[in-house]
Amino acid sequence: MKQWVTLLKKEMLELARNFKWIWVPLTFILITVKEPLTLYYLPQIIDSLGGLPEGAVIELPVPSAGEALAASLSQLNTIGVLIIVLIAMGSIAGERKSGVAGLILVKPVSYAGFVTAKWTSLMMLIWLSYFLGYFLSWYYVGILFEFIPFVDFLQSFFVYGIWLTLIITIVILFNTFIKSPGAVGFFTIGIIVLLTLLSTSLSHLMEWSPALLSAYTNTFIIGGNFPDELLPSIIVSVIAITISMIASIAIFKRRELA
Amino acid sequence: MEILESINWAIIAPIVIIQLILMAVAIIDLVKIEKANGPKWVWALVILFINLLGPIIYFIFGRRS
Amino acid sequence: MPVVSITNLKKRFKDQEVIKGLDFQLSEGKCIALLGANGAGKTTTLKMLAGLVKPDSGTIVYEGGEKADFRRLIGYLPQFPVFYDWMTGKEFLEYAGQLAGLPKAEAKDRAAELLELTGISEAKNRRIGKFSGGMKQRLGIAQAIIHRPKLVMLDEPVSALDPFGRREVLELLGRLKKETAILFSTHILNDAEEICDEILFLHGGELIESGTLADLRTRHQQAKIDLVFKVNTAEYAEEISLLPPVSSMELKGDSASFLVEDIEDARNLFLTEIAKRKWPLLKFEISRTSLEDVFMKVVKK
Repeated sequence: MKQWVTLLKKEMLELARNFKWIWVPLTFILITVKEPLTLYYLPQIIDSLGGLPEGAVIELPVPSAGEALAASLSQLNTIGVLIIVLIAMGSIAGERKSGVAGLILVKPVSYAGFVTAKWTSLMMLIWLSYFLGYFLSWYYVGILFEFIPFVDFLQSFFVYGIWLTLIITIVILFNTFIKSPGAVGFFTIGIIVLLTLLSTSLSHLMEWSPALLSAYTNTFIIGGNFPDELLPSIIVSVIAITISMIASIAIFKRRELA
Repeated sequence: MEILESINWAIIAPIVIIQLILMAVAIIDLVKIEKANGPKWVWALVILFINLLGPIIYFIFGRRS
Repeated sequence: MPVVSITNLKKRFKDQEVIKGLDFQLSEGKCIALLGANGAGKTTTLKMLAGLVKPDSGTIVYEGGEKADFRRLIGYLPQFPVFYDWMTGKEFLEYAGQLAGLPKAEAKDRAAELLELTGISEAKNRRIGKFSGGMKQRLGIAQAIIHRPKLVMLDEPVSALDPFGRREVLELLGRLKKETAILFSTHILNDAEEICDEILFLHGGELIESGTLADLRTRHQQAKIDLVFKVNTAEYAEEISLLPPVSSMELKGDSASFLVEDIEDARNLFLTEIAKRKWPLLKFEISRTSLEDVFMKVVKK
């Protein structure tokens, strides 16, 4: 346990030294808060660009508060996820590639501790950034449109957070057996895209898919209710996270590190 | 310039400030770092002139890890 | 009780057998050089001992048995050590010490002590990214011994250094000898002779010679007689090489070297023959072959 704290402290210090504690939260805030703002000011923006052509009658429907918050969520689901993968793809692979992992792991370091400390530090960074971004977006939606009940915000925050957690865990899993950070990123993105495409096009067959958590959260924010398929989807996600974590440690133990 | 008047700056200001902080941190890091992933002046241009994404692109791809 | 026993260790990479069955033991408090040309399998052997590469067959058993975590017992420095560039030297040593199980306060003390011992304490608060090659090597040695391991393994610790840095690191290793057993690889016999008591000589993935330096010298040194004649050295040498005590002859320019079985016999016989035939002898010298000669001979085979 003492050693695990040492490992975690090192990860925290690294995140501070390369400014990740600053730029990742700020970036998440920017990409999420941008959405309600642009939606709110869209009529003015179109006006300022010269307005609509003569004769074109376009009714711009005023978006609801739920739609504005859902727009933030979809930013998280694209740019947010991409940033998570880019940040995490080198966390173990990079250290193995450079060779420093070899220096560290000939010390009596627990392999499980090494992997879980990496995972924990990423979780802390991403959940903090995600919370700040999503919370401020909720606040802006409240000011510009109308306030969504805070309990609803919290529920959607935790449900969608499960999907982000699964992504972090998958990046770590790939990290334990692929030595090139670029390849780790490529395969993780590939899996996420594939899973999302399959789940949305075959949603009647794959309603338990973790990739649908974002869709379910959207439905909830806009319509006020989670669909019934939410529970299986959460259960499958939690199982997938657990299995990935166990597999990561098992694989990492068996790897040749040099 | 109606749009400038119709916008509530109290709402926009935090976003602008965040953007400026990101830029400042990226530039400070670029100056302090020994070697960037490519010429430093190019990264300076990226950070300063690519709106919103410049500093982020620098942090992800510009630092040699 | 040896610190580690290696039996029938083998490793192949793709279609090439790099280590073809090693057997040896390392005991406490010795300094042993793993000597061999490039590609002899030194790095692979050390990596297997450190647990970074898994052997295809054979066993490596550390004191304490196969179940215990042997990593407490060893310290390891790779050939090209890489650190966290964003840490300072002091931070890295304290980190390494705590990972190795030292309490925080002790890790701090030990780090300060080793920074002093390795001579990099004036740079302790500098980021490792700004360290020179020699400083990194010394930091590498410091991190390898921070938890007072019983066996320290160093992969070519002086090869990448300039003559000055090489001197300093060799002296440092000489001082370390008192604290722990050292196994270090090198392709330079001089370095091995300077600080080690024993040599493991690796060639083509096999252990072809091992033992204490004194042993090896007596086992391999042969008496040698060098002769130089005023004219026609080659011709005379040819005839002398037919004498019974001569085991081999080699011509080097104007001089001829003879390896002989018994130095007393050979001297008398050589001198009487030469005197009898009135050959124009210029130089007669008795010497011994060096370990270097022996190893060159083995490697060329």
